[in-house]
Amino acid sequence: MIVRELGEFDGVLSENDDLMSIVTESRSQEISDDSFIPRSYFDLALKRIEWYAKKKNDRNFDHKQYDFLFNPDINKFDVIAFFLLCQAIGVKYGPNSRESRVLVESQGKLIENRLGKLSKIERNVLVTNILNSLLSSAHIKWTFFEDLISSKKLKLHELILDSGEIILDKDDFLERFSHKIQGRKPEKMYEALIGDRIKELVMIKMVMQNTENYIRQVGERSNREIEPNPILLELADKISEVLLASVQTFGQGSGGYGGSVKASALNPKAFPPCVKKVMEGMKSGGRNDAIIMFLTPFISYARLYPAVFSENITKQISDVDPTLSIIQNEILPLIFGAAERCSPPLFEDQPQDKVNLNAKLGFGMHQNPELKNEGETTWYTPMSCEKVKIHLPSLCKPDETCKKIGNPLSYYNRKIWVVKKESKAESAVEEDIKD
Amino acid sequence: MVKIEYLTPASPEERKRYYREEWNIKQVPEYIIQSIQEREFGFDHVGRGPNDRYKVFRTPDLLKRFLKVRTPFAAYCSVAFYDKPRRRDRWTKAELVFDVDAKDIPVRTCECEGVCEICLNEAREIVLGIIDTLKGDLGLQNIHVVYSGRGYHIRVLDNDVMSVNTDVRSQIVKYLVGADVPENEYSLDFEKVSYEHFVIPFGYPNVFTKRVKYAILHLNENSELDEVNKKLLKDVLKHRQLIELDNWGMFKNKIGPQRYRKVIKGIASMNMSLVDAKVSIDLKRILRLPSSLHSMVSMKCTEVKNIETFDPFDDAVPKFVYER
Ligand code: SF4
Ligand SMILES: [Zn+2]
Repeated sequence: MIVRELGEFDGVLSENDDLMSIVTESRSQEISDDSFIPRSYFDLALKRIEWYAKKKNDRNFDHKQYDFLFNPDINKFDVIAFFLLCQAIGVKYGPNSRESRVLVESQGKLIENRLGKLSKIERNVLVTNILNSLLSSAHIKWTFFEDLISSKKLKLHELILDSGEIILDKDDFLERFSHKIQGRKPEKMYEALIGDRIKELVMIKMVMQNTENYIRQVGERSNREIEPNPILLELADKISEVLLASVQTFGQGSGGYGGSVKASALNPKAFPPCVKKVMEGMKSGGRNDAIIMFLTPFISYARLYPAVFSENITKQISDVDPTLSIIQNEILPLIFGAAERCSPPLFEDQPQDKVNLNAKLGFGMHQNPELKNEGETTWYTPMSCEKVKIHLPSLCKPDETCKKIGNPLSYYNRKIWVVKKESKAESAVEEDIKD
Repeated sequence: MVKIEYLTPASPEERKRYYREEWNIKQVPEYIIQSIQEREFGFDHVGRGPNDRYKVFRTPDLLKRFLKVRTPFAAYCSVAFYDKPRRRDRWTKAELVFDVDAKDIPVRTCECEGVCEICLNEAREIVLGIIDTLKGDLGLQNIHVVYSGRGYHIRVLDNDVMSVNTDVRSQIVKYLVGADVPENEYSLDFEKVSYEHFVIPFGYPNVFTKRVKYAILHLNENSELDEVNKKLLKDVLKHRQLIELDNWGMFKNKIGPQRYRKVIKGIASMNMSLVDAKVSIDLKRILRLPSSLHSMVSMKCTEVKNIETFDPFDDAVPKFVYER
């Protein structure tokens, strides 16, 4: 491992003149403030994360402060900084943490941005080389990308598949498809549908997946080791600080990490199409799942804990609604209203469904939510769009906003700002939520 | 034409006759017999759902004895393979399955209540299309079809896909049924080019084209597509012979490009119901056992040897039905 060559982490914290001169000599690097200049591998590792977090969350992000990240001379330092990050995060947080996600995404973005600085030819050569080193043969079965497809980093329908293989190579493409293409130039079609775009995509996503796998390995190995290196632990703490700082200073909007959406009265105008549809009441098929599995988690989280996915902390309802008054007075009436509008009305012919509803809120298999039963079941998080499409396909009627989100709750969180602005402009009349 | 008695429930006596006189262990497909020890079996003895579960048979003979003695209302077998099937412990892999139920097909040209010859045949056409894509695009080969009694199960046993998880399976389903509208604009270095799905004769756009074609040719004036109003639907029906001739460009012009997009969006979302996706993404599902009796409709759940020529009303009717 490269990091080992540093003599068991010695040089990691010490000032590195070579590094500093590369940084200060980077073409458009801003050096007016000392804090812009990483002095050690440790600093450099943090700068990488900071670059990504600020770029994502900070409106005043200034790329000149990070120009060194795109200086080719930084490479040998950068590789080490990258491994430091993987190890620190792997040891302390593991592969399923927010930190890990940030590192994986930042690695992808960094490569993307670095490629952007190259000429088309350089870029093509580089991508082809990296791909060749990652792929062992020219004929790649799609199942080789199982991980990427599973994590949705690649979508099956965006790849060109033929007889089980993913087509990336131009000659291969022409040989297979030229004779079928009519009235269009096959070469041009190749460039459009596959070309550098898909190759780059595959390459970047593979690097991201490898990063994730590596973090996982580190995590698994560190479970067996006795004492993790204190420098790694310190780096890990600093990474979290950087992430937290960027969210606190610049947070909100953008749906970035921790984008702190506050719990507040529900605004049905901001509901996504699928929720609106259930609220109108369902006819026959699927009304049970629609109300209990889909609507109940959505309404309860939207009202009480809209930031569940960005904060990623498991809560119980009483953490946010200690007396259960919001559940009783706001949430249940909405859900029962929708249940009544079903034909036939839901709870009339199947009263035991109330028990199921209660269970989804975390209050166990009982008729009504009571604090003493809380925790017997878990508070179900809202279904993703993907799940809605599979389990309740008739609900999903995507509109423009849907393109940007993966969960109806994120739709709501986004839309609520828009709606607020609009309604402020229109008038100051409060919407009545209990229609 | 179909006589309705076929599709009525079987009496307990008929079930007994079926399992004792007609059923034969040889009708259980080889791919189940070979792995019989790794699978979970489930039975429904009274017609209220399979609640006798977690059964394991060490040999085909034991299964045979069980069926002949108990003559169950329905018999099921897991798509999953386990090291310890009795406790559903140590899942190792699962067949990739697609369930095309005739009564749930979103566009049917028949108006029947349950299933009939027409919609069963339409289910068969959909199955053919899916198999074509499984082989041609995904390169899968170990594919089996079972007539379930009310539709078809496609069961894929290629090792490459038996281990994939739910998320991958859900993307496979979407690919096969054409649930996403393909891009139609692509950027090259200095220009944008637009290729509608129907000018791309390969890959997913080609799959999508075939599914859209199928849908358009099976729509009727009562069909419901998201965002497609009566007028638009009427126009689609009016010009659909162009699609039959694969004259897509002309069809799109007649309809208008904006409205064309609406139509294909509606069809894409409808396509999600061509198969029951819940079955495909379930790694532990039990499926009706081929060779067993579907007692609700008095038909045999049957391994289909040749889907091109299979006719359930010839090949899946138990003898007792003829003697009713
Ligand atoms: S895309 Fe998601 S949010 Fe939009 S309608 Fe479908 S399920 Fe709802
Ligand atoms: Zn029918």
